[in-house]
Amino acid sequence: MKLLNKLIAGVGISTLLFATGCTGGSSETSSGSDGGSKDKVVLDYWHTYSDQEEIILNEKIKPLFEKEHPNIELKLTRMPYEGLKQQVVAGVSGGEAPDLMRMDIVWVSEFAKMGALQDLSGFEGFDEVKNSVFESPMATNLYEGKYYGVPVNTNTKIAIYNKELLEKAGYSEAPETMEQLVDASEKAVKAGAKGGIAIGGSFSWAFLPYFWSLGGTMTNEDYTKFDGYLNSPESIAAVEEIAKWQKDGLVAPTVLGGEPGTWDGMKNNEYLMIDDGPWFYSILGNEEGSKFKPEEATVSGLIPAGPGGSSSVIGGENLVTFAGSEHPEEAWTFAKWMLTDEPQRLMAEAGLIPTNKETANDPEVIQNPIVQKYVKQLETALPRTPVPQWSEIEAVINLNFEKVMRGEMDAKKALDDAAKKADSLLQQ
Amino acid sequence: MLPKVKNESDHNQQPVMTPKQKEPKKPKPSKFMKGLKQWMQVFPFLFLGLTGASVFVIYPLIKGIVMSFQDYNIMPGAESPFVGLENYAKAFSDPAFRYAVRNTFLNTVVTVPINWFLGLFFAVLINIQFVKYKITFRTLYYLPIITSWIVVAFLFRYLFADGDNGLINYLLVQVGIIEEPISWLQNQWTAMIVIWLFHIWKTVGWTVVIYLAALQGIPKELYEAASIDGANGLKAFRFVTIPMLGPITAFVIINLVMGAFNIFPQVYFITNGGPMGQTEVLQSMIYKQAFNNFNFGYSSALGVMMGLTIFLITLTQQKKLGKQRFM
Amino acid sequence: MKGNIFAKIIVYAFLILGLVVFITPFIYMVMTTFIGDAYSLPRPNEVFTAVPNLDNYETVWNKNNFFRYFMNSLLVAGVATVGSVFLGALTAYSFVRFTFPGKELLFRVFLFTMMIPLVLAIVPQFTVIKNLGLVNTYWGLWLLYIGGGVVGSTFFLRGFFETVPKELEESILMDGGGNWTIFRRIYLPLSKPALGTMAIFAFSGTWDEYFVALTIIKDEAMRTLPIALMMFQGKYASNWSWIFAASIIAILPVIIIYIVFQKKFVQSGHTDGAVKG
Repeated sequence: MKLLNKLIAGVGISTLLFATGCTGGSSETSSGSDGGSKDKVVLDYWHTYSDQEEIILNEKIKPLFEKEHPNIELKLTRMPYEGLKQQVVAGVSGGEAPDLMRMDIVWVSEFAKMGALQDLSGFEGFDEVKNSVFESPMATNLYEGKYYGVPVNTNTKIAIYNKELLEKAGYSEAPETMEQLVDASEKAVKAGAKGGIAIGGSFSWAFLPYFWSLGGTMTNEDYTKFDGYLNSPESIAAVEEIAKWQKDGLVAPTVLGGEPGTWDGMKNNEYLMIDDGPWFYSILGNEEGSKFKPEEATVSGLIPAGPGGSSSVIGGENLVTFAGSEHPEEAWTFAKWMLTDEPQRLMAEAGLIPTNKETANDPEVIQNPIVQKYVKQLETALPRTPVPQWSEIEAVINLNFEKVMRGEMDAKKALDDAAKKADSLLQQ
Repeated sequence: MLPKVKNESDHNQQPVMTPKQKEPKKPKPSKFMKGLKQWMQVFPFLFLGLTGASVFVIYPLIKGIVMSFQDYNIMPGAESPFVGLENYAKAFSDPAFRYAVRNTFLNTVVTVPINWFLGLFFAVLINIQFVKYKITFRTLYYLPIITSWIVVAFLFRYLFADGDNGLINYLLVQVGIIEEPISWLQNQWTAMIVIWLFHIWKTVGWTVVIYLAALQGIPKELYEAASIDGANGLKAFRFVTIPMLGPITAFVIINLVMGAFNIFPQVYFITNGGPMGQTEVLQSMIYKQAFNNFNFGYSSALGVMMGLTIFLITLTQQKKLGKQRFM
Repeated sequence: MKGNIFAKIIVYAFLILGLVVFITPFIYMVMTTFIGDAYSLPRPNEVFTAVPNLDNYETVWNKNNFFRYFMNSLLVAGVATVGSVFLGALTAYSFVRFTFPGKELLFRVFLFTMMIPLVLAIVPQFTVIKNLGLVNTYWGLWLLYIGGGVVGSTFFLRGFFETVPKELEESILMDGGGNWTIFRRIYLPLSKPALGTMAIFAFSGTWDEYFVALTIIKDEAMRTLPIALMMFQGKYASNWSWIFAASIIAILPVIIIYIVFQKKFVQSGHTDGAVKG
């Protein structure tokens, strides 16, 4: 009993002291940065850069920007992915959202609809910025005619083939058309490959490149109608084609969440083709002590062209400002600056593809032939429908696509149903 | 130090819920004064806990309930119009809701009894006098509880990977129990089994720990008395241990039911509702409605319905809690 | 006696069987940490042939400010545990020792709050913390952990407190002691196993807590361990060896706390009994 009392008292007091020290310390530093440099505006910036990218951000981008804009200080906070959307929701509703955030392109219109983001279209120099960047990534910031962000880096997926299996299938170069891809897959599977075409899952990011290249469409041009597009004869034919591959055993188990995963299957010479972003090369290439050398063991190419040409899906991040920010002007200053040539060049060092057209097309910036293919693919890559209801609509489409792949629903019925539901969600 | 065996009679307190039969004639003010006096007495002890609970638990709860009748907008200062029962009605036309309800109930029906039995079973075994390395056993049984949900969820997805790359398939094939690897997570019922197994694996240690603490509280004298009466071993267990564990069992069952209803990382990180939404549960639906779809009102309505259900299901156990007089 | 040995064998067989089931996943997890490149999960034969080494542990320890976050977590979870146990004991005592109008109703309300899953509770909670000016302080975090946890700890401790014999109070009352003395001299010491167990739950709960900590604490330097752990998860690929190694490091303090509290509190109740009996 005495022991318990002592313990509680002891721990209690010591922690109280320690805690007071801590909080005292932290409040000091924050007031110090406010008071010490009189009119300095501190911009809170949440980002999700990776390790290597963060180093460039901290050591090059930040000093450079602060040198050019001595009245602004960047406070960088790296956020984990897990539960990030919840964090933003909590921050926004509590009035404690950061000034700036680099967020996934598909989130922007959702948060814009909520009223959480600042409309950037009216800021000084906006049109110049808009014209300097690629059109498709820019379009992901659009909500009801206004832009709520600017694209800070972009990416897409290209086709990556296992060299050994490709050779076994009798190809020395990446297939250029869907027919060639199917042919190569058939031969590879016959030669013992576990999978020909490794579609990463039954969700839009994974299957859209095939759907689009095979001629499918999602909506009309201004993203207001799914009916007649998502279930057009071309779209139905595209899904039927993928379903046929699945039936013929050409598609890897990954499409239904099976193992081995795409990277695993590629590493172990089990899958003929996967599709992935530039991180496939940067992450696996930087791995110390790994026997797998992605650039040597694989052959890359554009997504094979079908009736819809060669089309892939756009990923990447946009830079947004929150509506609650006290320093929208300064935040815009940073966003605008971040899209200029020099910072774009710096981030490209870490393998991020610039959105600034000039920078991206400068052969000096992107010398790596693989990254050049990504830039090439971007010319025809499409964004996932940039509407605020996308998460919900996507869930509907994914579910029906999965049902088709499992043979539980035929393509026409699945797409008709999805188009109807998607349109009714759009009305909300 | 040890609590002595105590007889039932002398409680100076009565559960308030039981009506006091002999008081109706007393004038109201005095009853009020009595209540006030009682509150004055308890206040210094209750004050902090009540404040904490009111501010951080009850207030958000009330807000949540209100939210469930609104088309809620989280923006500060934004308008959130009341929509009556619309959010509640929406659930019943939502096909995902049917799966979620079915799976949540199934999970409760399957895991609660198993969890309860295994927890009690292992606690009793560890508590047997001749068993050595008690601390080691307890610690190792407790390991799953203290590991991050997210990490062990991924660990399980990895163990139950399909093909022969998952440890479970690998072992089963090696031992010869199955010939072909099972696609655990790609089929509805095998995926459910993985979710249940994971849930039990992760939480059984909690039941063990609670029952061990409760077993420790049983006075040795009771066993001695039983032994004099000729009851040993299983008999002593039947006539001493089980009745003595009665009240804590109510606590355990309520918690297990709540845990089974709140199953979330088990589903969200292992199958994410798949295949084809067939393993979705209420909690993962609540989460997705709030943070994927920003339907905060609908999400809250689902939460309120779930809370009411748990409350009703555990009502009989709750009554037992009120009468915790077991020594 | 033979029957006894037979019984022993059966008991141990069950215990060990249970043990195998509970720790096999961990053993596999530990073995995975010996593998260097685990962006895709390694296969059983790779795992079984991996040579034990601490490389990944070293990498993890030196990455993402892991050590700093580790210390932060110790502080956060330590204070939260002491506070939760104390406040829980006090509140449970109020429910056990006193009679007051509305007691059972209040208790039912407490219970009900535990049953409703409020994914959005963080919003009003955060607003309160903000109005108190405690965003980005450990005080805010502690208030939320202790205040928000009081319902559960009361629920837990109440059951155990009810078992404290009422006769013992009389001697205190006769000595002129009041309610506080009874709390300190009788309820706390007699409920050591329950308080110890409660402390373990409180510690492991706060040690693991990720979301609230990330919401309240805005400074990277003040973050806690679960956040560091999640930082190892990338958007496109995660190095599983690192994540598993970091998790193994993260559970060590909880194991230590667990063993210490078991020995000091939970088991001591037992030995006392044994000595007396």
